[in-house]
Amino acid sequence: MSNLLEVRHVTRKFGGLTANNNISFSVNENEILSVIGPNGAGKSTLFKMISSFLPTSSGEVLYRGERISNLKPHTVARMGVVRTFQETTIFKSMTVRESIVVAQHLRAKASLAGYFWGTKSAREDVESFGRYADDLIDFLGISAIRNELASNLPQGNLRALGLAIGLATDPKVLLLDEPFAGMNHDETMRMVQLVRKVRDDRGVTVLLVEHDMPAVMSISDRIIVLNFGEMIAEGTPTEIQNNQKVIEAYLGSADDEIGI
Amino acid sequence: MPRLSMIQWTGLLVFLIAVFVLVPAYIAASGRTDFYYTLTSVALLSIASAGVWLTFYIGRINIGQGAFALIGAYVSAILVTKAGISFWLSLPLAGLFAALVSVLIGVPILRLRGVYFAMITLVLTQVVTLTALALPVTNGAKGITSIPLPGEISVFGLTVIPDFAGLENPRLAFYYTSCALMVLTFAAMYRLVNSRLGHLCRSMQQNEELASSIGVNIAYIRVIVFAISSFLGGIGGAMFGSIAQSVYPSSFQVTDSVNFMLNCFLGGLGYVFGPMLGTLVLYFGWDLLFELGRYQLLVYSGLLIILMLFLPNGLLSLRIRGKGVAGR
Amino acid sequence: MEQILANGIYLGAQYAMIALGLTLIFALMNVLNFAHGQMYVLGGFVTYTFYGQLGWPFVVALLASCVTLAVLGALIEKFLFAPVIRRSSREESTMLLAAGLAFFFDAIILLVFGEKQRGVPKIVNGVLNWDFRIIMPYDRILICFLAILSIVGFIVFMQYSKTGRALRALAQDRTAAQLMGVNVERYSMIGFAIGAMLAGLVGGLLVTITGVNLGMGGPTSIKAFMMVMIGGAGVISGAIAGGIILGFMEAIGLAVLSQYGDITYLLIFVSLMIFLAIRPQGLMGKPWG
Repeated sequence: MSNLLEVRHVTRKFGGLTANNNISFSVNENEILSVIGPNGAGKSTLFKMISSFLPTSSGEVLYRGERISNLKPHTVARMGVVRTFQETTIFKSMTVRESIVVAQHLRAKASLAGYFWGTKSAREDVESFGRYADDLIDFLGISAIRNELASNLPQGNLRALGLAIGLATDPKVLLLDEPFAGMNHDETMRMVQLVRKVRDDRGVTVLLVEHDMPAVMSISDRIIVLNFGEMIAEGTPTEIQNNQKVIEAYLGSADDEIGI
Repeated sequence: MPRLSMIQWTGLLVFLIAVFVLVPAYIAASGRTDFYYTLTSVALLSIASAGVWLTFYIGRINIGQGAFALIGAYVSAILVTKAGISFWLSLPLAGLFAALVSVLIGVPILRLRGVYFAMITLVLTQVVTLTALALPVTNGAKGITSIPLPGEISVFGLTVIPDFAGLENPRLAFYYTSCALMVLTFAAMYRLVNSRLGHLCRSMQQNEELASSIGVNIAYIRVIVFAISSFLGGIGGAMFGSIAQSVYPSSFQVTDSVNFMLNCFLGGLGYVFGPMLGTLVLYFGWDLLFELGRYQLLVYSGLLIILMLFLPNGLLSLRIRGKGVAGR
Repeated sequence: MEQILANGIYLGAQYAMIALGLTLIFALMNVLNFAHGQMYVLGGFVTYTFYGQLGWPFVVALLASCVTLAVLGALIEKFLFAPVIRRSSREESTMLLAAGLAFFFDAIILLVFGEKQRGVPKIVNGVLNWDFRIIMPYDRILICFLAILSIVGFIVFMQYSKTGRALRALAQDRTAAQLMGVNVERYSMIGFAIGAMLAGLVGGLLVTITGVNLGMGGPTSIKAFMMVMIGGAGVISGAIAGGIILGFMEAIGLAVLSQYGDITYLLIFVSLMIFLAIRPQGLMGKPWG
């Protein structure tokens, strides 16, 4: 089964506005797929529908053949499809390690009551969470900020924290929301390396939404392009770079931005 | 799992000895038996306040605890007077009934956040008072009076709890019962806050979206927490009804609901034992100011305002971090 | 039927004014003013003192209510709410402060005016009787008219005056308003003063009809909260809508269900809870997120 995630004829309307119109594509296992497009193209909306943060108006999203759209976010997360947020969405008064430990909620074997009474399996969980958190911190190379409060972290580290929280849930598919936004060239390249490492070492399939063209071109196996809610192209980075429609869409939007 | 340190064990032991040995000894020596009533009230109010604190812990401002205390008081009173059930059985039933009601109400209203949730819980207290006035089973404004004192519990002929009516000093018995319940409540709270449920609550308090993205069923946890909170309210209310031997629609009012919230604020929302301290200070403060006669309310509220001005994060924020600190 | 309509308008207009002040304070500072009902009672007592006791003209007494409460509101904002908002790590702390203030005002009212119900001489005598379809004393009609006039005045003020525009900008987005050069501290104070003034004004108006007593504060606050919830917190049109809706529900309920006692309020509360379960942001509030 190579189609891990399948987006089928997904449409989303807000009042009279169509944010996504009949979008269909699939994501292969172990692939890094990027969704790009000018501002207002409907990337975030699509992302929210895949993670069930928004219901679709029509169409559905399948994960390993099972529908994951129009459910609750936590249900989708439990099935292994987990999204990250931009940097302001964090657990402000938890340390990095605490955030990672909490995020392992999904992997808990003991029940809530089991934790309350401190049963054997709950104690084992707690121990394994701690170990896993330390492993993850080493894996992401963020041991320096291990015990730092999230609210005290600089922007660059917040992105890593977001990734760590997402990874702590042990996802099969990770949806990254603009992971390179606001980063300089060096930071972007480091993040690109990290995302690749997540895919290579952990077998996580990555779907990301991004503005930063050079980063997208260097990281993606395939790219989907949206414009005004329509999917206008799909292909490898080289194909996309030479696609006439894509070039027009981006040039057009540049004009628009000047027009404003 | 948190393990208590040596200092924490010592602290706990000192607290227990003070509550169960020193205070009764002092009262017996000084003859101030009115303190029993005060301290019993503090213990029971702090149980209800602990519930309010727990809803704060998931980021909801709960000004509806009076409603659940009133429900608890009525359920216990009705069970004891009309169905002839032992008070000791009616006590958990009162808590469970309050929890059941809170689940029914909580499913729709827990979606509300911030001020909206606060306002609707405030209205809730009023709703329950009016319901008690309107229903036949609660006997309207006349309320339920002459509730018998708690009876005896015996296991295999051995008296575990004596019949309160036969006791020379039922006040002392209520004091012990209430304090035991309070200790139990706060031990459970401490445990809960430091267990997985507590961590999940904290994650929801800080960011519900992120919490749900990592697989936390936020709707479910909210309802569970609200049910536990209301259970505690019901227990506190039922005990109060039993001590007063009567329940009226006005037994718990909006002011009481506000006071439960104030207890939590005053003690500090980040600390499990905050509600206990807050209740003690508020209740005792109020009692001490009794001497001032008509200036009582003025001085009391003036002090509250000044306290808020200089310690906006609660009394326990004065203390060095350490024992009993939930979160940071 | 006409009678219910007339009662609804009468109740709705005064309720809307109370809700307006509460919602303004909430919109500007995110403070749930528990003491709003007490401010209303205080306004009533000021008018009672000047008009009822000292025999000054009603309009002057009403003005005194407005000025007293406006000054009080400004002082409270400057010396209590602003510092607490600055220092507290949680915005909920202001609720404790507001609750403390509610108790404080109750204490002051108790000390200065006592517990007794106070009334003032009627401002206008006579009763309008339109064919027994509407029966309403003239003073109620006058008060209702004044209340509607005040609401219109408030809306015009918020729409067209420089201060009103600044307040609206502040309510919409504090940070943006600050960037646009609005003096946030100053206008927070002005907004709080206006909110308190509105409460005082209604208190002054209504003392001529219902009288005033110490116990009216808390229930008034609760009603004001309900109106704000119906209309949507922090929205001016919502507060007016909420006030009118509650006024009509009460008028209808009291007419139809009066023989069942307090069941009207129970029904209002229950329907409010169902309504909010379906539409949490109220009629005109913005959904979150």
